[in-house]
Amino acid sequence: MIEARDLMVFYENMIAVNNVTLHCDDGQIVGVFGANSAGKSTLMYVLSGIILDIQRKERMRGGERVTVFSKITYAGKDISLMKPHERAREGIILCPERRRIFPESSVLENLKIGAYLASKEQAKETLDYVFSLFPTLDRLKDRQGGFLSGGEQQMLAIGRSLMAQPKLLLLDEPLLGLAPSIQKDVIRVIKEIRRDRRISIIVTEQYARPVIPIVDYAYILENGSAVMEGKGKELMNNPDVKAAYFGV
Amino acid sequence: MEILFYGIINSISLALMALGFTLVYGISRVPNFAHGALYVFAGFLTWIILNKLGLPYPLAILLALICSALLGAVISMGVLVRIRGMEMSEVIATYALGVAILEGFRWAGFKGMTYTLPPFFKGSVQILGVPIDYQRIMVVVLGVAVLAALWLFTRLTRMGLALRGIAQDERAAMMLGIDSDFAATIAMGIGCALAGLAAVILLPLGNIVIEAGYNVLIFAIAVCVVGGLGSWGGAVIASFVIGFAQILTVAYIRPQFQMVVALLAILVTLIIRPSGFFGRQKELEERV
Ligand SMILES: Nc1ncnc2c1ncn2[C@@H]1O[C@H](COP(=O)(O)OP(=O)(O)OP(=O)(O)O)[C@@H](O)[C@H]1O
Ligand SMILES: [Mg+2]
Repeated sequence: MIEARDLMVFYENMIAVNNVTLHCDDGQIVGVFGANSAGKSTLMYVLSGIILDIQRKERMRGGERVTVFSKITYAGKDISLMKPHERAREGIILCPERRRIFPESSVLENLKIGAYLASKEQAKETLDYVFSLFPTLDRLKDRQGGFLSGGEQQMLAIGRSLMAQPKLLLLDEPLLGLAPSIQKDVIRVIKEIRRDRRISIIVTEQYARPVIPIVDYAYILENGSAVMEGKGKELMNNPDVKAAYFGV
Repeated sequence: MEILFYGIINSISLALMALGFTLVYGISRVPNFAHGALYVFAGFLTWIILNKLGLPYPLAILLALICSALLGAVISMGVLVRIRGMEMSEVIATYALGVAILEGFRWAGFKGMTYTLPPFFKGSVQILGVPIDYQRIMVVVLGVAVLAALWLFTRLTRMGLALRGIAQDERAAMMLGIDSDFAATIAMGIGCALAGLAAVILLPLGNIVIEAGYNVLIFAIAVCVVGGLGSWGGAVIASFVIGFAQILTVAYIRPQFQMVVALLAILVTLIIRPSGFFGRQKELEERV
Protein backbone atom coordinates (compact mmCIF):
# COMPACT_ATOMS: atom_id res chain seq x y z
CA MET A 1 0.00 0.00 0.00
CA ILE A 2 2.54 2.60 1.10
CA GLU A 3 6.27 2.30 1.26
CA ALA A 4 8.36 5.21 2.47
CA ARG A 5 12.12 4.93 2.22
CA ASP A 6 14.88 6.94 3.82
CA LEU A 7 12.75 9.78 5.08
CA MET A 8 14.72 12.73 6.39
CA VAL A 9 13.44 16.03 7.68
CA PHE A 10 15.54 18.87 9.03
CA TYR A 11 14.12 21.89 10.77
CA GLU A 12 16.95 24.35 10.44
CA ASN A 13 19.88 22.14 11.34
CA MET A 14 17.95 20.01 13.79
CA ILE A 15 17.02 16.62 12.48
CA ALA A 16 13.40 15.72 13.19
CA VAL A 17 13.12 12.53 11.15
CA ASN A 18 16.29 10.60 10.55
CA ASN A 19 16.48 7.97 7.90
CA VAL A 20 13.18 6.30 8.63
CA THR A 21 11.86 3.57 6.39
CA LEU A 22 8.28 2.59 6.90
CA HIS A 23 5.88 0.27 5.25
CA CYS A 24 2.16 -0.44 5.49
CA ASP A 25 0.37 -3.19 3.60
CA ASP A 26 -3.22 -3.23 2.40
CA GLY A 27 -5.60 -3.50 5.31
CA GLN A 28 -2.88 -3.32 7.94
CA ILE A 29 -2.81 -1.25 11.08
CA VAL A 30 0.69 0.05 11.70
CA GLY A 31 1.72 1.75 14.93
CA VAL A 32 4.39 4.41 15.35
CA PHE A 33 5.36 5.00 18.96
CA GLY A 34 7.66 7.54 20.50
CA ALA A 35 7.96 10.10 23.26
CA ASN A 36 7.34 13.84 22.87
CA SER A 37 9.23 15.35 19.94
CA ALA A 38 10.35 11.95 18.68
CA GLY A 39 9.20 13.09 15.24
CA LYS A 40 5.84 11.35 14.97
CA SER A 41 3.87 14.32 13.71
CA THR A 42 6.64 15.29 11.34
CA LEU A 43 6.56 11.77 9.94
CA MET A 44 2.80 12.06 9.40
CA TYR A 45 3.35 15.39 7.65
CA VAL A 46 5.82 13.73 5.32
CA LEU A 47 3.41 10.91 4.46
CA SER A 48 0.47 13.26 3.91
CA GLY A 49 2.51 15.88 2.07
CA ILE A 50 1.70 18.64 4.55
CA ILE A 51 5.45 19.02 5.06
CA LEU A 52 5.69 20.33 1.48
CA ASP A 53 3.19 23.03 2.35
CA ILE A 54 5.11 23.91 5.51
CA GLN A 55 8.26 24.07 3.44
CA ARG A 56 6.64 26.20 0.76
CA LYS A 57 5.29 28.74 3.24
CA GLU A 58 8.70 28.83 4.87
CA ARG A 59 10.37 29.50 1.52
CA MET A 60 7.93 32.25 0.64
CA ARG A 61 9.05 34.05 3.75
CA GLY A 62 12.60 33.79 2.51
CA GLY A 63 13.67 30.97 4.81
CA GLU A 64 15.24 27.70 3.84
CA ARG A 65 14.75 26.15 7.22
CA VAL A 66 12.86 23.02 6.32
CA THR A 67 14.65 20.37 4.31
CA VAL A 68 12.92 17.17 3.26
CA PHE A 69 14.20 14.03 1.60
CA SER A 70 11.62 11.42 0.86
CA LYS A 71 10.91 8.57 -1.47
CA ILE A 72 7.36 7.43 -1.05
CA THR A 73 5.60 4.89 -3.20
CA TYR A 74 1.88 4.56 -2.79
CA ALA A 75 -0.26 2.10 -4.71
CA GLY A 76 2.63 1.60 -7.11
CA LYS A 77 3.15 5.32 -7.77
CA ASP A 78 5.90 7.67 -6.65
CA ILE A 79 4.10 10.38 -4.69
CA SER A 80 7.12 12.06 -3.09
CA LEU A 81 6.42 15.38 -4.78
CA MET A 82 2.64 15.28 -4.75
CA LYS A 83 0.83 18.10 -2.98
CA PRO A 84 -1.25 17.30 0.09
CA HIS A 85 -4.62 17.76 -1.61
CA GLU A 86 -3.52 15.53 -4.46
CA ARG A 87 -2.48 12.83 -2.03
CA ALA A 88 -5.84 13.20 -0.31
CA ARG A 89 -7.49 12.63 -3.67
CA GLU A 90 -5.47 9.41 -3.94
CA GLY A 91 -6.90 8.33 -0.60
CA ILE A 92 -4.25 9.40 1.92
CA ILE A 93 -6.10 11.28 4.64
CA LEU A 94 -4.45 12.70 7.74
CA CYS A 95 -6.43 13.08 10.93
CA PRO A 96 -4.14 15.54 12.67
CA GLU A 97 -2.89 15.82 16.20
CA ARG A 98 -5.20 18.01 18.31
CA ARG A 99 -8.00 17.35 15.85
CA ARG A 100 -8.19 20.74 14.18
CA ILE A 101 -11.98 20.74 14.12
CA PHE A 102 -13.56 23.68 12.27
CA PRO A 103 -14.66 25.58 15.36
CA GLU A 104 -17.41 27.74 13.86
CA SER A 105 -19.05 24.98 11.90
CA SER A 106 -21.58 22.60 13.39
CA VAL A 107 -20.76 18.93 13.76
CA LEU A 108 -22.79 18.16 10.66
CA GLU A 109 -21.07 20.90 8.68
CA ASN A 110 -17.65 19.66 9.74
CA LEU A 111 -18.60 16.29 8.30
CA LYS A 112 -19.96 17.87 5.12
CA ILE A 113 -16.75 19.81 4.60
CA GLY A 114 -14.95 16.51 5.06
CA ALA A 115 -16.98 15.08 2.21
CA TYR A 116 -15.38 17.45 -0.32
CA LEU A 117 -13.86 14.54 -2.23
CA ALA A 118 -16.85 12.22 -1.88
CA SER A 119 -19.66 11.77 -4.37
CA LYS A 120 -23.20 12.50 -3.16
CA GLU A 121 -23.94 8.82 -2.59
CA GLN A 122 -20.63 8.20 -0.85
CA ALA A 123 -21.21 11.20 1.39
CA LYS A 124 -24.66 10.00 2.40
CA GLU A 125 -23.56 6.43 3.01
CA THR A 126 -20.48 7.49 4.97
CA LEU A 127 -22.47 9.95 7.06
CA ASP A 128 -24.76 7.12 8.17
CA TYR A 129 -21.72 4.97 8.88
CA VAL A 130 -20.06 7.69 10.96
CA PHE A 131 -23.23 8.18 12.98
CA SER A 132 -23.45 4.44 13.55
CA LEU A 133 -19.85 4.41 14.78
CA PHE A 134 -20.38 7.46 16.99
CA PRO A 135 -24.02 7.82 18.02
CA THR A 136 -22.91 10.77 20.15
CA LEU A 137 -22.16 12.77 17.02
CA ASP A 138 -25.67 12.15 15.73
CA ARG A 139 -27.02 13.58 18.96
CA LEU A 140 -24.72 16.62 18.78
CA LYS A 141 -25.24 17.25 15.04
CA ASP A 142 -26.09 20.91 15.45
CA ARG A 143 -23.57 21.78 18.12
CA GLN A 144 -20.69 24.05 17.06
CA GLY A 145 -17.39 22.25 16.69
CA GLY A 146 -15.71 24.64 19.08
CA PHE A 147 -18.06 23.69 21.89
CA LEU A 148 -17.37 19.96 21.86
CA SER A 149 -15.40 18.17 24.55
CA GLY A 150 -12.03 16.71 23.69
CA GLY A 151 -13.45 13.22 23.27
CA GLU A 152 -16.29 14.42 21.09
CA GLN A 153 -13.84 16.41 18.99
CA GLN A 154 -11.72 13.34 18.46
CA MET A 155 -14.74 11.34 17.30
CA LEU A 156 -15.65 14.18 14.96
CA ALA A 157 -12.10 14.37 13.61
CA ILE A 158 -12.09 10.67 12.82
CA GLY A 159 -15.56 10.89 11.32
CA ARG A 160 -14.56 13.88 9.21
CA SER A 161 -11.52 12.00 7.89
CA LEU A 162 -13.73 9.05 6.98
CA MET A 163 -16.00 11.36 4.99
CA ALA A 164 -13.02 12.05 2.70
CA GLN A 165 -13.08 8.40 1.62
CA PRO A 166 -9.61 7.38 2.80
CA LYS A 167 -7.80 4.30 1.62
CA LEU A 168 -4.92 5.02 3.96
CA LEU A 169 -5.87 6.79 7.15
CA LEU A 170 -3.15 8.53 9.15
CA LEU A 171 -4.15 9.02 12.78
CA ASP A 172 -1.81 11.31 14.72
CA GLU A 173 -2.17 10.74 18.45
CA PRO A 174 -5.90 9.99 18.41
CA LEU A 175 -5.88 9.19 22.13
CA LEU A 176 -4.28 12.45 23.20
CA GLY A 177 -5.94 13.75 26.34
CA LEU A 178 -8.76 11.22 26.40
CA ALA A 179 -10.02 9.40 29.48
CA PRO A 180 -9.19 5.67 29.52
CA SER A 181 -12.78 4.62 28.83
CA ILE A 182 -12.99 6.89 25.78
CA GLN A 183 -9.57 5.67 24.66
CA LYS A 184 -11.05 2.17 24.62
CA ASP A 185 -13.93 3.35 22.45
CA VAL A 186 -11.59 4.99 19.99
CA ILE A 187 -9.40 1.89 19.80
CA ARG A 188 -12.47 -0.28 19.19
CA VAL A 189 -13.60 2.08 16.45
CA ILE A 190 -10.20 2.01 14.74
CA LYS A 191 -10.46 -1.76 14.59
CA GLU A 192 -14.02 -1.59 13.29
CA ILE A 193 -13.07 0.87 10.58
CA ARG A 194 -10.41 -1.46 9.30
CA ARG A 195 -12.82 -4.37 9.37
CA ASP A 196 -15.80 -2.59 7.78
CA ARG A 197 -14.03 -0.49 5.18
CA ARG A 198 -10.75 -2.24 4.45
CA ILE A 199 -8.86 0.96 5.19
CA SER A 200 -5.16 0.75 6.00
CA ILE A 201 -4.27 2.75 9.07
CA ILE A 202 -1.07 4.24 10.44
CA VAL A 203 -1.50 5.41 14.00
CA THR A 204 0.97 7.26 16.23
CA GLU A 205 0.92 7.39 20.00
CA GLN A 206 3.21 8.23 22.86
CA TYR A 207 2.19 5.21 24.86
CA ALA A 208 2.05 1.95 23.03
CA ARG A 209 0.07 0.03 25.61
CA PRO A 210 -3.50 0.86 24.61
CA VAL A 211 -2.82 0.61 20.88
CA ILE A 212 -0.43 -2.29 20.53
CA PRO A 213 -3.09 -5.02 20.79
CA ILE A 214 -4.66 -3.87 17.53
CA VAL A 215 -1.56 -3.15 15.44
CA ASP A 216 -0.09 -5.65 13.00
CA TYR A 217 3.29 -4.00 12.89
CA ALA A 218 4.94 -1.25 14.86
CA TYR A 219 7.89 1.14 14.77
CA ILE A 220 9.50 2.83 17.70
CA LEU A 221 10.88 6.31 17.11
CA GLU A 222 13.51 7.93 19.25
CA ASN A 223 14.87 11.36 18.39
CA GLY A 224 13.74 10.95 14.83
CA SER A 225 15.21 7.50 14.23
CA ALA A 226 13.33 4.24 14.07
CA VAL A 227 15.22 2.37 16.78
CA MET A 228 13.12 -0.73 16.70
CA GLU A 229 10.39 -2.36 14.67
CA GLY A 230 8.50 -5.59 14.58
CA LYS A 231 5.17 -7.34 14.84
CA GLY A 232 3.00 -5.90 17.54
CA LYS A 233 3.11 -8.93 19.82
CA GLU A 234 6.84 -9.43 19.48
CA LEU A 235 7.54 -5.85 20.45
CA MET A 236 5.23 -6.14 23.39
CA ASN A 237 7.24 -9.03 24.74
CA ASN A 238 10.62 -7.44 24.18
CA PRO A 239 11.95 -6.49 27.62
CA ASP A 240 13.68 -3.27 26.49
CA VAL A 241 10.56 -2.01 24.81
CA LYS A 242 8.46 -3.04 27.74
CA ALA A 243 10.48 -0.96 30.13
CA ALA A 244 10.60 2.11 27.91
CA TYR A 245 7.18 2.25 26.30
CA PHE A 246 4.75 0.32 28.41
CA GLY A 247 5.63 1.86 31.71
CA VAL A 248 6.13 -1.50 33.36
CA MET B 1 -38.60 58.55 8.80
CA GLU B 2 -36.44 59.82 6.01
CA ILE B 3 -33.37 59.18 8.09
CA LEU B 4 -34.51 55.65 8.80
CA PHE B 5 -35.12 54.79 5.14
CA TYR B 6 -32.04 56.48 3.78
CA GLY B 7 -30.01 55.04 6.64
CA ILE B 8 -31.08 51.55 5.67
CA ILE B 9 -30.35 52.17 2.00
CA ASN B 10 -26.96 53.67 2.78
CA SER B 11 -26.12 50.80 5.14
CA ILE B 12 -26.97 48.17 2.58
CA SER B 13 -24.94 50.06 -0.02
CA LEU B 14 -21.97 49.92 2.31
CA ALA B 15 -22.54 46.23 2.94
CA LEU B 16 -22.58 45.62 -0.82
CA MET B 17 -19.33 47.53 -1.24
CA ALA B 18 -17.66 45.66 1.59
CA LEU B 19 -18.94 42.15 1.02
CA GLY B 20 -16.43 41.10 -1.60
CA PHE B 21 -13.56 42.48 0.43
CA THR B 22 -14.63 40.59 3.57
CA LEU B 23 -15.19 37.40 1.66
CA VAL B 24 -11.72 37.40 0.14
CA TYR B 25 -10.09 38.29 3.43
CA GLY B 26 -12.15 35.77 5.37
CA ILE B 27 -11.21 32.91 3.09
CA SER B 28 -7.66 33.54 1.99
CA ARG B 29 -6.50 36.21 4.47
CA VAL B 30 -5.62 38.43 1.54
CA PRO B 31 -6.57 42.09 2.04
CA ASN B 32 -7.57 42.90 -1.52
CA PHE B 33 -6.61 46.51 -1.95
CA ALA B 34 -7.59 46.31 -5.61
CA HIS B 35 -11.21 45.93 -4.50
CA GLY B 36 -12.18 49.52 -5.25
CA ALA B 37 -10.46 49.38 -8.62
CA LEU B 38 -12.55 46.36 -9.58
CA TYR B 39 -15.65 48.29 -8.59
CA VAL B 40 -14.75 51.06 -11.01
CA PHE B 41 -13.55 48.54 -13.60
CA ALA B 42 -16.95 46.85 -13.64
CA GLY B 43 -18.68 50.22 -13.87
CA PHE B 44 -16.68 51.44 -16.86
CA LEU B 45 -16.79 48.07 -18.53
CA THR B 46 -20.58 47.99 -18.31
CA TRP B 47 -20.63 51.50 -19.72
CA ILE B 48 -18.34 50.54 -22.60
CA ILE B 49 -20.27 47.40 -23.49
CA LEU B 50 -23.53 49.29 -23.28
CA ASN B 51 -22.51 52.40 -25.19
CA LYS B 52 -19.70 51.35 -27.49
CA LEU B 53 -20.75 47.81 -28.34
CA GLY B 54 -24.43 48.55 -28.09
CA LEU B 55 -25.37 45.33 -26.30
CA PRO B 56 -28.49 45.24 -24.11
CA TYR B 57 -28.13 46.42 -20.52
CA PRO B 58 -28.62 43.07 -18.71
CA LEU B 59 -26.11 41.40 -21.01
CA ALA B 60 -23.64 44.25 -20.49
CA ILE B 61 -23.94 43.81 -16.74
CA LEU B 62 -23.50 40.06 -16.96
CA LEU B 63 -20.42 40.37 -19.18
CA ALA B 64 -18.89 43.01 -16.94
CA LEU B 65 -19.37 40.80 -13.87
CA ILE B 66 -17.84 37.80 -15.60
CA CYS B 67 -14.86 39.91 -16.65
CA SER B 68 -14.45 41.19 -13.07
CA ALA B 69 -14.47 37.65 -11.75
CA LEU B 70 -11.94 36.56 -14.35
CA LEU B 71 -9.70 39.53 -13.65
CA GLY B 72 -9.84 38.64 -9.95
CA ALA B 73 -8.98 35.03 -10.68
CA VAL B 74 -6.09 36.06 -12.89
CA ILE B 75 -4.72 38.39 -10.20
CA SER B 76 -5.00 35.55 -7.72
CA MET B 77 -3.29 32.94 -9.88
CA GLY B 78 -0.69 35.23 -11.36
CA VAL B 79 0.29 37.21 -8.31
CA LEU B 80 -1.33 36.36 -5.01
CA VAL B 81 -0.68 32.63 -4.99
CA ARG B 82 3.02 33.37 -5.09
CA ILE B 83 3.03 35.72 -2.13
CA ARG B 84 0.30 34.33 0.09
CA GLY B 85 0.96 34.61 3.77
CA MET B 86 3.10 37.73 3.46
CA GLU B 87 0.55 40.39 4.33
CA MET B 88 2.73 43.35 3.47
CA SER B 89 3.47 42.03 0.00
CA GLU B 90 -0.20 41.27 -0.52
CA VAL B 91 -1.18 44.80 0.40
CA ILE B 92 1.47 46.34 -1.81
CA ALA B 93 0.77 44.07 -4.77
CA THR B 94 -3.01 44.47 -4.70
CA TYR B 95 -2.78 48.20 -4.06
CA ALA B 96 -0.36 48.63 -6.94
CA LEU B 97 -2.64 46.65 -9.24
CA GLY B 98 -5.61 48.68 -8.09
CA VAL B 99 -3.88 51.98 -8.77
CA ALA B 100 -2.70 50.68 -12.13
CA ILE B 101 -6.27 49.78 -13.13
CA LEU B 102 -7.70 53.10 -11.94
CA GLU B 103 -5.01 55.28 -13.40
CA GLY B 104 -5.16 53.20 -16.57
CA PHE B 105 -8.75 54.33 -17.00
CA ARG B 106 -7.77 57.92 -16.30
CA TRP B 107 -4.99 57.67 -18.87
CA ALA B 108 -7.44 56.24 -21.40
CA GLY B 109 -9.52 59.37 -20.97
CA PHE B 110 -12.25 58.20 -18.62
CA LYS B 111 -12.48 61.31 -16.47
CA GLY B 112 -15.04 63.90 -15.61
CA MET B 113 -18.69 63.50 -14.76
CA THR B 114 -19.94 62.30 -18.11
CA TYR B 115 -20.12 58.57 -17.48
CA THR B 116 -23.39 57.29 -16.08
CA LEU B 117 -25.28 54.03 -16.06
CA PRO B 118 -29.06 54.11 -16.43
CA PRO B 119 -31.17 52.95 -13.48
CA PHE B 120 -32.78 49.52 -13.79
CA PHE B 121 -36.24 51.05 -13.50
CA LYS B 122 -37.08 54.72 -13.76
CA GLY B 123 -39.40 56.48 -11.37
CA SER B 124 -40.04 56.52 -7.66
CA VAL B 125 -42.65 55.73 -5.05
CA GLN B 126 -43.82 57.29 -1.84
CA ILE B 127 -43.35 55.07 1.18
CA LEU B 128 -44.92 56.50 4.33
CA GLY B 129 -44.59 59.92 2.82
CA VAL B 130 -40.94 59.57 1.86
CA PRO B 131 -40.16 59.62 -1.85
CA ILE B 132 -37.77 56.82 -2.80
CA ASP B 133 -36.72 56.03 -6.34
CA TYR B 134 -36.90 52.50 -7.64
CA GLN B 135 -33.14 52.15 -7.98
CA ARG B 136 -32.71 52.66 -4.23
CA ILE B 137 -35.35 50.05 -3.60
CA MET B 138 -33.41 47.76 -5.91
CA VAL B 139 -30.33 48.38 -3.75
CA VAL B 140 -32.17 47.06 -0.73
CA VAL B 141 -33.76 44.12 -2.52
CA LEU B 142 -30.60 43.05 -4.32
CA GLY B 143 -28.44 43.65 -1.27
CA VAL B 144 -30.55 41.30 0.79
CA ALA B 145 -30.72 38.82 -2.08
CA VAL B 146 -26.93 38.78 -2.49
CA LEU B 147 -26.44 38.18 1.23
CA ALA B 148 -28.95 35.35 1.19
CA ALA B 149 -27.41 33.82 -1.92
CA LEU B 150 -23.94 33.89 -0.40
CA TRP B 151 -25.19 32.38 2.82
CA LEU B 152 -26.82 29.52 0.92
CA PHE B 153 -23.76 29.06 -1.28
CA THR B 154 -21.45 28.59 1.69
CA ARG B 155 -23.78 26.19 3.53
CA LEU B 156 -25.15 24.05 0.75
CA THR B 157 -22.65 23.66 -2.06
CA ARG B 158 -19.50 21.61 -2.11
CA MET B 159 -17.33 24.54 -3.12
CA GLY B 160 -18.97 26.86 -0.60
CA LEU B 161 -18.39 24.41 2.21
CA ALA B 162 -14.79 23.96 1.10
CA LEU B 163 -14.33 27.73 1.28
CA ARG B 164 -15.74 27.70 4.81
CA GLY B 165 -13.25 25.00 5.72
CA ILE B 166 -10.31 26.90 4.25
CA ALA B 167 -11.43 30.06 6.03
CA GLN B 168 -11.38 28.33 9.41
CA ASP B 169 -8.30 26.16 9.16
CA GLU B 170 -6.45 26.09 5.90
CA ARG B 171 -4.23 23.18 6.73
CA ALA B 172 -7.00 21.00 8.12
CA ALA B 173 -8.96 21.65 4.93
CA MET B 174 -5.93 20.68 2.89
CA MET B 175 -5.80 17.35 4.69
CA LEU B 176 -9.34 16.71 3.45
CA GLY B 177 -8.35 17.26 -0.16
CA ILE B 178 -9.23 20.91 -0.58
CA ASP B 179 -6.71 22.80 -2.71
CA SER B 180 -6.09 26.06 -0.90
CA ASP B 181 -4.67 27.89 -3.93
CA PHE B 182 -7.71 26.95 -5.96
CA ALA B 183 -10.00 28.00 -3.12
CA ALA B 184 -8.20 31.34 -2.85
CA THR B 185 -8.63 31.89 -6.57
CA ILE B 186 -12.34 31.05 -6.44
CA ALA B 187 -12.72 33.38 -3.45
CA MET B 188 -10.96 36.18 -5.29
CA GLY B 189 -13.13 35.61 -8.35
CA ILE B 190 -16.31 35.75 -6.31
CA GLY B 191 -15.05 38.73 -4.30
CA CYS B 192 -14.27 40.71 -7.45
CA ALA B 193 -17.58 39.77 -9.02
CA LEU B 194 -19.22 41.09 -5.85
CA ALA B 195 -17.29 44.35 -6.20
CA GLY B 196 -18.61 44.54 -9.75
CA LEU B 197 -22.14 43.71 -8.65
CA ALA B 198 -22.01 46.48 -6.07
CA ALA B 199 -20.88 48.81 -8.83
CA VAL B 200 -23.67 48.04 -11.27
CA ILE B 201 -26.27 48.29 -8.52
CA LEU B 202 -24.94 51.50 -6.96
CA LEU B 203 -23.45 53.42 -9.85
CA PRO B 204 -26.79 54.27 -11.51
CA LEU B 205 -27.35 56.50 -8.48
CA GLY B 206 -24.47 58.75 -9.53
CA ASN B 207 -21.56 59.06 -11.94
CA ILE B 208 -18.78 56.61 -12.65
CA VAL B 209 -15.64 58.39 -11.53
CA ILE B 210 -12.14 57.12 -10.90
CA GLU B 211 -12.17 58.48 -7.33
CA ALA B 212 -14.99 56.07 -6.47
CA GLY B 213 -12.35 53.34 -6.55
CA TYR B 214 -10.48 54.90 -3.66
CA ASN B 215 -13.66 55.75 -1.75
CA VAL B 216 -15.11 52.27 -2.07
CA LEU B 217 -11.86 50.75 -0.87
CA ILE B 218 -11.86 52.97 2.20
CA PHE B 219 -15.53 52.25 2.92
CA ALA B 220 -14.90 48.53 2.55
CA ILE B 221 -11.92 48.67 4.87
CA ALA B 222 -13.89 50.75 7.38
CA VAL B 223 -16.72 48.23 7.44
CA CYS B 224 -14.34 45.29 7.77
CA VAL B 225 -12.18 46.84 10.46
CA VAL B 226 -15.15 47.88 12.57
CA GLY B 227 -16.86 44.55 12.02
CA GLY B 228 -13.79 42.48 12.71
CA LEU B 229 -11.74 41.41 9.71
CA GLY B 230 -13.13 38.41 7.95
CA SER B 231 -16.37 38.24 9.89
CA TRP B 232 -19.48 38.49 7.71
CA GLY B 233 -21.98 39.00 10.46
CA GLY B 234 -19.70 41.69 11.85
CA ALA B 235 -19.43 43.34 8.46
CA VAL B 236 -23.20 43.56 8.09
CA ILE B 237 -23.67 45.05 11.56
CA ALA B 238 -20.78 47.43 10.97
CA SER B 239 -22.35 48.54 7.69
CA PHE B 240 -25.45 49.56 9.60
CA VAL B 241 -23.50 51.36 12.30
CA ILE B 242 -21.38 53.32 9.82
CA GLY B 243 -24.26 53.71 7.38
CA PHE B 244 -26.51 55.36 9.95
CA ALA B 245 -23.65 57.41 11.35
CA GLN B 246 -23.05 58.78 7.86
CA ILE B 247 -26.68 59.59 7.21
CA LEU B 248 -26.94 61.32 10.59
CA THR B 249 -23.88 63.46 9.92
CA VAL B 250 -25.19 64.28 6.47
CA ALA B 251 -28.51 65.32 7.95
CA TYR B 252 -27.29 67.23 10.98
CA ILE B 253 -23.72 68.33 10.34
CA ARG B 254 -22.75 68.57 6.71
CA PRO B 255 -22.82 66.35 3.66
CA GLN B 256 -19.08 66.23 3.00
CA PHE B 257 -18.45 64.30 6.19
CA GLN B 258 -19.23 60.81 4.89
CA MET B 259 -15.61 59.94 4.34
CA VAL B 260 -14.61 61.47 7.65
CA VAL B 261 -17.07 59.18 9.40
CA ALA B 262 -15.58 56.14 7.73
CA LEU B 263 -12.02 57.13 8.57
CA LEU B 264 -12.95 58.02 12.13
CA ALA B 265 -14.62 54.63 12.48
CA ILE B 266 -11.39 52.92 11.43
CA LEU B 267 -9.32 55.04 13.78
CA VAL B 268 -11.58 54.62 16.80
CA THR B 269 -11.82 50.86 16.28
CA LEU B 270 -8.09 50.42 15.96
CA ILE B 271 -7.51 52.42 19.13
CA ILE B 272 -10.21 50.84 21.26
CA ARG B 273 -10.54 47.32 19.92
CA PRO B 274 -8.16 46.41 17.10
CA SER B 275 -9.86 43.07 16.53
CA GLY B 276 -13.13 44.81 15.63
CA PHE B 277 -16.35 45.22 17.55
CA PHE B 278 -18.44 42.43 16.15
CA GLY B 279 -15.84 39.91 15.07
CA ARG B 280 -16.07 36.32 16.08
CA GLN B 281 -14.84 35.69 19.54
CA LYS B 282 -12.26 33.00 19.87
CA GLU B 283 -14.61 30.37 21.16
CA LEU B 284 -12.38 27.43 20.78
CA GLU B 285 -9.79 27.42 23.43
CA GLU B 286 -7.88 24.26 22.82
CA ARG B 287 -9.64 21.55 24.77
CA VAL B 288 -7.54 18.61 25.77
N1 LIG C 1 7.88 23.86 12.20
C1 LIG C 1 8.91 23.46 12.99
N2 LIG C 1 10.03 24.20 13.06
C2 LIG C 1 11.07 23.83 13.83
N3 LIG C 1 11.09 22.70 14.55
C3 LIG C 1 10.01 21.92 14.54
C4 LIG C 1 8.86 22.25 13.76
N4 LIG C 1 7.92 21.28 13.94
C5 LIG C 1 8.48 20.39 14.79
N5 LIG C 1 9.71 20.75 15.16
C6 LIG C 1 10.62 20.00 16.04
O1 LIG C 1 10.80 18.73 15.49
C7 LIG C 1 10.84 17.75 16.51
C8 LIG C 1 9.83 16.66 16.22
O2 LIG C 1 8.54 17.21 16.35
P1 LIG C 1 7.21 16.40 16.15
O3 LIG C 1 6.08 17.34 16.27
O4 LIG C 1 7.31 15.61 14.91
O5 LIG C 1 7.23 15.41 17.41
P2 LIG C 1 6.11 14.43 17.94
O6 LIG C 1 6.72 13.10 18.03
O7 LIG C 1 4.88 14.55 17.15
O8 LIG C 1 5.88 14.98 19.41
P3 LIG C 1 4.52 15.04 20.27
O9 LIG C 1 4.33 13.72 20.88
O10 LIG C 1 4.84 16.08 21.30
O11 LIG C 1 3.43 15.44 19.36
C9 LIG C 1 10.60 18.49 17.81
O12 LIG C 1 11.84 18.65 18.46
C10 LIG C 1 10.04 19.80 17.40
O13 LIG C 1 10.44 20.84 18.26
MG1 LIG D 1 3.01 15.08 17.48
